[in-house]
Amino acid sequence: MSGALIRPDATLPGIGGAVAEIPLTHPGNRRWWIAFAGAAALLGLFALTLGYLLYAGPGIWANNNAVVWALDIASYDWWIGVASGSLLVSAILLLLGAEWRGAVNRIAETLALLATAAAGLYPIIHLGRPWFFFWNLPYPNTYNLWPQFRSPLLWDAIDIVSFLVICVSLWFIGLLPDLATLRDRAHVEALRQFDVKAPTRKLARLRAQVYGILASGWRGSAAHWQIWVQAYRTVALLGVLLVVSVQTGASVMLAGSLMPGWHSTLLPVSFLVNAVYSGVGVTAVIVMLIRLVYGLDALVTDRHLDVLGRLLLCLGCASAYCYAAEYFDTFLNGDAEGRGVLVRRMTGDHALVSWTAILCLGLPAQILWSARARTAPLAIATVGLLVAIGAYADHVMVLVVTLTQDFLPSSRLPYTTDIWGIATFAGSIGLFLTLLLLFLRYLPAVSIVESRRLALTVSPAAQEAARMAASRATGRPEENPVTAPLWGVSATFASQGDLAAALQAVSGISPDQVHLDGHGPVPMPRTLRPLGLEGRSILPYALAGALLGGFGFFAMCVYATAYDYVFLIGGRPRLSWPSFVVPSVSFAMMAGCVAIHLALLVLNRLPRLNHPAFNIPGFLRASEDRFFLSAEARGDRFDAARIERRLASLPAEAGRPLEIRRIPR
Amino acid sequence: MAQLFTPGADALYRLALMTGVACLVGVPVLAAGIVRSNYVTGVGVAPAQPLPFSHKHHSGELGIQCRYCHTTVDREATAGIPPTHTCMTCHSQIWTGSEMLKPVRDSYAQDKPLEWKRLNKLPQYVYYNHSVHVTKGIGCSTCHGDVTSMQMTYRANAFEMQFCLDCHRAPEKYVRTPDQVWNMTWKPPADQATLGPKLVAQYHIRGGERLTECGICHR
Repeated sequence: MSGALIRPDATLPGIGGAVAEIPLTHPGNRRWWIAFAGAAALLGLFALTLGYLLYAGPGIWANNNAVVWALDIASYDWWIGVASGSLLVSAILLLLGAEWRGAVNRIAETLALLATAAAGLYPIIHLGRPWFFFWNLPYPNTYNLWPQFRSPLLWDAIDIVSFLVICVSLWFIGLLPDLATLRDRAHVEALRQFDVKAPTRKLARLRAQVYGILASGWRGSAAHWQIWVQAYRTVALLGVLLVVSVQTGASVMLAGSLMPGWHSTLLPVSFLVNAVYSGVGVTAVIVMLIRLVYGLDALVTDRHLDVLGRLLLCLGCASAYCYAAEYFDTFLNGDAEGRGVLVRRMTGDHALVSWTAILCLGLPAQILWSARARTAPLAIATVGLLVAIGAYADHVMVLVVTLTQDFLPSSRLPYTTDIWGIATFAGSIGLFLTLLLLFLRYLPAVSIVESRRLALTVSPAAQEAARMAASRATGRPEENPVTAPLWGVSATFASQGDLAAALQAVSGISPDQVHLDGHGPVPMPRTLRPLGLEGRSILPYALAGALLGGFGFFAMCVYATAYDYVFLIGGRPRLSWPSFVVPSVSFAMMAGCVAIHLALLVLNRLPRLNHPAFNIPGFLRASEDRFFLSAEARGDRFDAARIERRLASLPAEAGRPLEIRRIPR
Repeated sequence: MAQLFTPGADALYRLALMTGVACLVGVPVLAAGIVRSNYVTGVGVAPAQPLPFSHKHHSGELGIQCRYCHTTVDREATAGIPPTHTCMTCHSQIWTGSEMLKPVRDSYAQDKPLEWKRLNKLPQYVYYNHSVHVTKGIGCSTCHGDVTSMQMTYRANAFEMQFCLDCHRAPEKYVRTPDQVWNMTWKPPADQATLGPKLVAQYHIRGGERLTECGICHR
């Protein structure tokens, strides 16, 4: 691989500025408005279609008695596939610790969330009576009935809810420190406008407050960061497990029927591969678009394109293998019905769809063997788009070709798509694009934190230069007598190393007298030992939540199906435990995720909008390039002067603060 | 450095969060409560009728048997609303000048039925047959309550699906001997636990899996 992941001269404030500038100053405003108008028009089409659908019923999609599932389920599968793929990309990069992920993972997480939102509407609107969607969930109803836990339709309901929770959670946890960065930069702007008495100063302050509420009082404390890193990774792990559960569940849903062509043992794998493939494809298209529109070449570099290209190539080969294996296996030793389905796919009424799927999924990725194509944004985006189209065609092919002709000649009906079916899908794209554009306008499109961590590891020289510049610029710690009641003592540093050294120097003081903490713009693992926070883990909470949720749900299924509501269906036994596993796993992931979220807030004593630490002069730079030590007074024996002396006596190259202050309460 | 939020903002924010969580739990509970309330189900509500007919007086105090008026209850799907003729069997002789009974006499003279307000309604998609229930040991009061104590008639049970299923899942808890079917104050006897299954076998009721099949009621 060639090229750098980040420019060697990238500094922490530079990265924050480049990314935060987009939501705060809206560059390319006219282009954004044009795109937004288009997306909003599609969204209007969606509203129109849904209105007509509610009035006239799902018959408007031209689904018929044989083809009960057509574009509605194909669109749902496609959206959830895109969501699965994007989530998996982001989660796996996070779990593997790929240090370059910052440029990709925020967009991937956002796509996962928005695609899930688009997907989540389909299971509701494809019901004959959508307003009764909650009948699918177990709630204490006046029918005295339980939902049928052996049915894949219930798995779908649990899956989509869990998926949405995990997507929101992963996205929000990742976004939290960046929101704090945005809050602080918006606050700086508001203060500046306040000084010059600008006419929009109230609006500026309001904007800072909105970001502040979203950031829930994130202060970048060492303790926050420690839990944050763990929470982010753990939710990602839960996400990976959920993706596998959802996609294999979807294929089992098809295999649970008697229809020909849906019983290949490779089906779960090929569902998963094609889903991830389409997710990466859509991610690639959107990343290229954002890079082009906002000129983020410095953060999304050629090396990132290369990695995306390689990923597409690998998945393209895996997808081609799945196709080849299905054909090979079925023609070699499949039954006559299975062979018939494959022949009808290639020569029947829907041959165009099938060939689109096969050609778009198999061929375009192959040009990425060329290193030049892998670094060409246009090539990557084109391949991504074709893959997305191919994946959609694949879902249509798998569903429709089988359904038009089952074993009974009397129940064979031809199917052609109706204009309203296409309008519904186009409308859901409108919903997706509208939300995406709003995200791009108001939230950071590239992870600031991850890019900063990358800058710290890849270009330490630039950071060292910034640190030296800062050290030279400051003099001796000043004496500033504070008459108000004292909250504590703060000290400012230019690097994490200095902060860790200073914390080490004052860590001997009894915790009865003082509560120490560090604050900074990136996770600060080196400060954890002097703070005595090593070994603190969020995993027990996650594990307890997931196990409790999973076993609780499983127990509910067993109680409902085997004892409370014995209903013999399809000859299935009272205790059909394998079918209870799928929704239980999904629910376990959701419960674990909720537990993590609660732990993240409670262990960090958040949300806390107003905090004495914000009184530290220059504390807004804690989300930019400064590191702060705070020694909070505990009890009467707190001796501020002693701490100041200890800090001031540290050697200049190892921990002497740029500034020491006493902070009022 | 200036704080972006006042100290009071924290309390407000937490209050808002807790309100949100409380609503997440509270709103469904409230909705479920409203759906089950007598206001929605109509249980215990006696609407105005063309004239204030009292089941308590006729059936409870005077002892007129149910089937005197509801003649088809043990033979047909519907129990039958009595025609004006049934009323006039007595009221052509007694209380003939009563102002209260004028609508009955008018109905008789004009040959126009009285339009009673129906209380016990089932949805269109529910198949229900009175005769099979009555002849197989399910008493009137199990569904309609103690009608003989009602001055003005009201709905005694919300006919939600769980009401039907309670019995269809365990008919042995409700089934009576034939002579008890018309007993409006029937309580399960002490030996219902042994008597019930015997009666169920005797009536050839196939409980559990057969009676809870969807097609039993939704035909």
